[in-house]
Order: sequence, then structure tokens, then C-alpha cells
Amino acid sequence: MAELFAAGDDVRTTRVDPSHHCRLPRYARGAVGTVLELQGSYRLADDSARGIPAEPEPVYTVRFQAQELFGSGNHVVTVDIWESHLAPAKGTSDER
Amino acid sequence: MSRINDVGGMQGFPPIEHELDEPPFHADWEAHVFALNRALLGQGVYNLDEFRDAIERMPPEEYLASSYYEKWFHAVTTLLVEKGICSATEIHGG
Repeated sequence: MAELFAAGDDVRTTRVDPSHHCRLPRYARGAVGTVLELQGSYRLADDSARGIPAEPEPVYTVRFQAQELFGSGNHVVTVDIWESHLAPAKGTSDER
Repeated sequence: MSRINDVGGMQGFPPIEHELDEPPFHADWEAHVFALNRALLGQGVYNLDEFRDAIERMPPEEYLASSYYEKWFHAVTTLLVEKGICSATEIHGG
């Protein structure tokens, strides 16, 4: 399937807070980072954990500045994130 | 609504200890749990995401007090009951 994002794109993670299984860690929700690379396509874990059929979708490695996630720190943090949990960083912000 | 597994960015936990020449398993039962889980995944009894979910659904106090393979054992037995493969009585009855 066509990918919405490419390496170098700035993305914002969604602010989902579900009670079910979710691979987007709490500390990385609603944060802005940069796509490093595409990791391939996988079924959304949120769905397959609940037995919900899902088509594979792109998963990206996204790099965040520690400052963005924790308010301080000079290191970077990389997280693999499903496309469902990402939106373009520019333009209309999501639930924020 | 995050669950007890989602501790990234939290303080209060001790540093991770790196054991020198760490063996794959610290007891035979751990190897059995590992093999059982691989077999059940391979047979399609449940998928990897359901397995992770079952670990995350552990009561927080039990999760924090459990070792790595104790969490695996909890998830395997939870899913065997939920999938109707075993009854809770069969599992806990020994």
C-alpha cells in the first residue's frame, strides 16, 4: 500500500489513550518527531490483539528529541510507530 | 488508560542489571514455558499481540512482582483458558 510519509517528514503522534493493547508508548503520544525510515507493513497491533481483522499498514521508525518527550535531555529517542498513530506535523493539529 | 507495562519515562525503578555470561534460561521450567509459547503461537492458538496483551492485563501488583518468564507463564495460562483449550480448574489443579 502507498505510504503517507517518507524519511525526513515531520510527524505528530496521536494522543490516543486506549484501555486496550497499544504499541505507542505513553511518553511518545502527542509528540512531534521525524521519520527516519520505513520498517515495512504490519497489521495494527491494537487490532490483532483484540482479534479484529486488519490490513497491513506502514510502520515507521520515528526519531524524537528527548526535550520534546520529557522536557529536558540532549539525547534522541527512536520509536517504531504504525501509520494509524501518525499525522503530518504541519497543518491542522489533531486532537490537541 | 495506560497499563502497568508502559513505564517508559517513569522514575523509581532500579537500573537494569546486566548479568555476565547470562544463560538463556535460569531454570528448566523457563525453557518449557518458552517452548510451549512458541508451539501455541505456531499452531495459531493465539497471536503475538494477544500474548503481549495478556501480559499487560496482569494485575499491576502481580506484574511488578513477576519475573520475565513468570509473566510469560501467566499469559500462556490466561490465553489457554480464554481460548477454551483448558479450564482454570485444569490449570490450577496441577
